[in-house]
Amino acid sequence: MTGNGAGNGIIWHRQNLRELPKFRDGTSYLYLEHTRLEQDGRGVRAYHPEGMITLPVASLGVLLLGPGCSVSHEAVKALSDTGCSVLWVGEGGVRLYASGLGESRSALRLQRQARLWANPDTRLRVVRQMYAMRFPGGLPDGLTLQQIRGHEGARVRDAYARYSRAYGVRWEQRQYKQTDWERATPINKALSAGNACVYGLAHAAILATGYSPALGFVHTGKMLSFVYDVADLYKIEVVLPTAFREAATPGDDLERRVRTGLRDHMTNLRLLERMAADLHLLLGGDDMDPDPTAPGDLWDPLGDVQGGVNHA
Amino acid sequence: MTLEAVPPSLRGELSRWLMEVQPGVYVGNATALVRDLLWDKAVQNARTGRCTQIYRANNEQGFAVRMYGDPHRTLVSLDGFQLVAIRNARHIELQGEYDPPEDDDKL
Repeated sequence: MTGNGAGNGIIWHRQNLRELPKFRDGTSYLYLEHTRLEQDGRGVRAYHPEGMITLPVASLGVLLLGPGCSVSHEAVKALSDTGCSVLWVGEGGVRLYASGLGESRSALRLQRQARLWANPDTRLRVVRQMYAMRFPGGLPDGLTLQQIRGHEGARVRDAYARYSRAYGVRWEQRQYKQTDWERATPINKALSAGNACVYGLAHAAILATGYSPALGFVHTGKMLSFVYDVADLYKIEVVLPTAFREAATPGDDLERRVRTGLRDHMTNLRLLERMAADLHLLLGGDDMDPDPTAPGDLWDPLGDVQGGVNHA
Repeated sequence: MTLEAVPPSLRGELSRWLMEVQPGVYVGNATALVRDLLWDKAVQNARTGRCTQIYRANNEQGFAVRMYGDPHRTLVSLDGFQLVAIRNARHIELQGEYDPPEDDDKL
């Protein structure tokens, strides 16, 4: 322990990155609303209607902030130091408004993602791989992209029909109105709430592993295209059983029950670990920046040159 | 398990089953049945004291907590994630500001 001489205890100027638990080992998410977040000591405190809660942010993957939350500057700094992603979401965690920074400090993976994304051949390869991951039995060779999408549509339709029969919940169609949440059928509400959790988790996994949520392969044109790509890999397997089960159970608080049920389900599936592994599988390799604090290189058509020095 | 301000007889009883690593802090590997019986015993004999029990559980956190006797500390379960909520002065000061808005039909 090193004193700083001023007599007010220890000050760590920089978070030791090695002491951070790896993303996949952490707990998945925490949803808060009507809460004020502040830093106190070196911890983050949440003033919740129930009382003051000290948050274990260093092992937390995602913090979902719902309506009525306010965060102090120092609290955000503490969250960013420990690599906890912050997402601002709608009531019940059903819409994603904005996100903070994950724990990645290196751009190597983002650059690789951009290279794969920019070349139509490699992009198509990633898209095919993403679809193939959803079919445990594999897809026939030589399908066109349009045929693959057809197979995917049939898989989704069959899954809905199967769960609908299993839980006795009437299934007509997936429908949700952004402007009128209350008018959706219970099963559609349950699905929306569950999907939002998976989006949040996928978003956090992407940020935490150092990729861009905007450079989607299957989806395109939105700032969260890649989030939709990744979430779609797991949605059917993760959300449907819980959403149909909870929709079949009478009672209030459907969205909260879906989220609670999903937490257990995601733990059993080891979803965080799988997301991180699948991202590396899809976008290749796991080489890390040897020194995340060193200055970055400068680009040159003949090859990168060392940055942080005067080239005069 | 931790005990605070409880009768000495309860402390003695617990030390028969668990190791007291620090005053009031008891550690041991007990079956679920023994753990629950010890908890019941602690709660019944704690009088004005406080006790806490933490045990391994098959959830995302890997453990579960139960607490007894401290009016300022409550356990909250946020979508299945157990955390301790403390009602301290700062919380009371902010309470009015950050309580959820009252429903219109209650007014």
